[in-house]
Amino acid sequence: MFFEPFTDVVPSFFGWLNQGPLTLTIFLHTIIVLPMFWIYFQEKKKLEEA
Amino acid sequence: MLASIKTHELKYESQKLGMMYFRVAIILFGAQLLMGLIAAFQFLVPGFLFEIFDFSVARMVHINALVVWMLFAMIGSVYYMIPDETGIEAVGVKIGKIAFWVLTVAVTIVVLVYIFVQIGAGTEATIWFINEGREYIEAPRWADIGIVVVVLIFYWNVFATFMKGKQTGIMMVMVANLMALAGLYLTGMFFTDNISMDQFWWWWVIHLWVEATWEVFVGTLAAYALIKIIGAKREIVEMWLWIEVLMLFGSGVLGMGHHYFWIGTPEYWWEIGALFSALEPVPLVAMFVHVLYDWGKEQGLAEAEGDGSGHALNNGPAMAWIVTNAFGNFLGAGVWGFFHTLPQVNIYTHGTQFTASHGHLSFYGAYATILIGMMYMGLQGTYGIKHMKMTFKSKMGIFLTTFGVLGMGVALLISGYEQVLVERAELGATWNAFFVAQELPWYIQGQLWRFIMGIVTFVGFIYLVWDLLTIGKQAKQAQEAKA
Amino acid sequence: MAKKNVSVWTSIPFWRRSAAWVTGFAVVLLIWLSFDTLGQISMGTDEDLKSGVTKRVPGPTVINYNIDYKFSKKRGSEVPIIGDKEPFFGKEWSVEDAAALLHLGKLTSQAKNCMNCHTLLGNGAYYAPDLTKAWLDPTWEAMGYFGQKTKEEGIAHFLQHPAENAIHTRRMPNLAITPEEAKGLVAFLKHMSSIDTNGFPRNFSKTVEQFKQGGTNAR
Repeated sequence: MFFEPFTDVVPSFFGWLNQGPLTLTIFLHTIIVLPMFWIYFQEKKKLEEA
Repeated sequence: MLASIKTHELKYESQKLGMMYFRVAIILFGAQLLMGLIAAFQFLVPGFLFEIFDFSVARMVHINALVVWMLFAMIGSVYYMIPDETGIEAVGVKIGKIAFWVLTVAVTIVVLVYIFVQIGAGTEATIWFINEGREYIEAPRWADIGIVVVVLIFYWNVFATFMKGKQTGIMMVMVANLMALAGLYLTGMFFTDNISMDQFWWWWVIHLWVEATWEVFVGTLAAYALIKIIGAKREIVEMWLWIEVLMLFGSGVLGMGHHYFWIGTPEYWWEIGALFSALEPVPLVAMFVHVLYDWGKEQGLAEAEGDGSGHALNNGPAMAWIVTNAFGNFLGAGVWGFFHTLPQVNIYTHGTQFTASHGHLSFYGAYATILIGMMYMGLQGTYGIKHMKMTFKSKMGIFLTTFGVLGMGVALLISGYEQVLVERAELGATWNAFFVAQELPWYIQGQLWRFIMGIVTFVGFIYLVWDLLTIGKQAKQAQEAKA
Repeated sequence: MAKKNVSVWTSIPFWRRSAAWVTGFAVVLLIWLSFDTLGQISMGTDEDLKSGVTKRVPGPTVINYNIDYKFSKKRGSEVPIIGDKEPFFGKEWSVEDAAALLHLGKLTSQAKNCMNCHTLLGNGAYYAPDLTKAWLDPTWEAMGYFGQKTKEEGIAHFLQHPAENAIHTRRMPNLAITPEEAKGLVAFLKHMSSIDTNGFPRNFSKTVEQFKQGGTNAR
């Protein structure tokens, strides 16, 4: 029973992502943080070339 | 501070305007404390001023004076820092002064109506002219519109001055953040029959103010103050400021979810609110570390190679308030907020004295402290003082108010804890459960200590005002005697 | 050629861009989530009620139905249950009349500043009881509806004469509520009790059962 059945009143995209232990919030955190890697390497390249 | 109306060495009209805002702010702060004392006393003696000046009225003026004095002090701080940061006078300072008087008169009328008219019939007219009956943003609709106009004038002043003058990183954050801060007020200006919808938008104003834009505002003020007071390096301060913006908005914007647990909104907010808001204390720790680190570093430099005075600080009381802010923000907003931010806990603590405890500590720790610090910086500039030192009154002021508010926070927390266990967990939140919990000795003792600590806070406030009124003149005389 | 030793972690542009990205994207997500939520919390219609469609916030005509608050195994918490029809102030309210009554009630709740003593959906002041499920509170019955025939009339009577009918030393003041406004407020309270609050307040229904069996904790 790692993943829980959907229990909310109205089905929705975010409700569907909300599948159990912190799935929705970890997903949101990940897509917020991931692009920072790209920003990091781009800035690194800029500094190295400067 | 009063004498500073006539004698000041401020070069810029914008800074004088800032001082005008500070003066009104401190008066409203006093009004807030008085109303708080009345409301706290009514918890102990419910018949006090019954049907003359009921709890609802005292409490409404208490929280409205809070919001308004902070907005006044915030606008004042911005007008004060603009010339320092941009290097020029605020472009529309004349209309800024008119806006100040309009706002002050409007606030006075609103407060008088709150106190003497109090409530109205269930009609649109009441919402337009007496009060809107929505916690924190009770201001009637006419005043809402007035506030928007005044804020637009203020914002135009900040924006146009920023565009014309030097564009620092601090001002860039300030300009962007103020736009969000002002715009958010609009989401709290309409009426709906749907109470869930009502509270959904209400939180857009309240949460996105106090847990996002106001916090970034505080970060900006702290950055400016550290450069002014201890001569911190701008590059380091601005780097920290961007990190703070990242973390405050990154956690605070979606941290909104912790207000959407129980107001009719979907279950997915549980997760969003839980983790995002659980991260809200992280930037507050970072801010505290940053302030102390910079202070220590500059103090070390001052001793090693300084001007012989051995002081890194040029403004003792302002720095004391800013350090109190850094710690109070972390403790009151961060730790106290985290106590009850998870839905598993919040289902029991929501709407109990827990919230009141957190509210007192966080508003004081996060906002009141740094705004008072800014007032001391204003006084230093007004009297042209090179090294402003703490007086006995400054020390009593900061110690008693801080100790008093901390005491109120702890007392309310104990009452809240009892209420959570008895009313919510044991008995289940009916009217009977509510009153049983309110009558237990542990609850009443907490309320009694809250009242006592409220008086301590008020005594501290008297010292604070006394100090604000005298410290500038005294320091100036001492400085002249020395020279 | 050896690469220069650089420090991205202390670079202002790196943090500035990251701050802009994180803030901007968080705001986009919040707006997207808000649209989803606003759709879910907009009021239902009379048809929804007739056909048994569950809405988080039912339409105003929910005042024509019996409302209860019971534990749901599926949700793991208490949920509002909209039952059979029952008269409200002795009649069935049309869609227009129910909406007008709820409008008056919500307006009155703001005009009388309820929120600065009570909490609504848990938000407000903490001086007086929470009103989220006030309509379902067993106290009304225990007080014999203040001598009135029905619960709604009892509550309306109390709202017009709160100080005289106080159930605690912390009395509610007389707020000059008219009979019409009182009716509106009762409709507002009844409507609020039908909102799905994800199980807040918890344990409410358990206490109601205890209370009805005579197990009161009042002193």
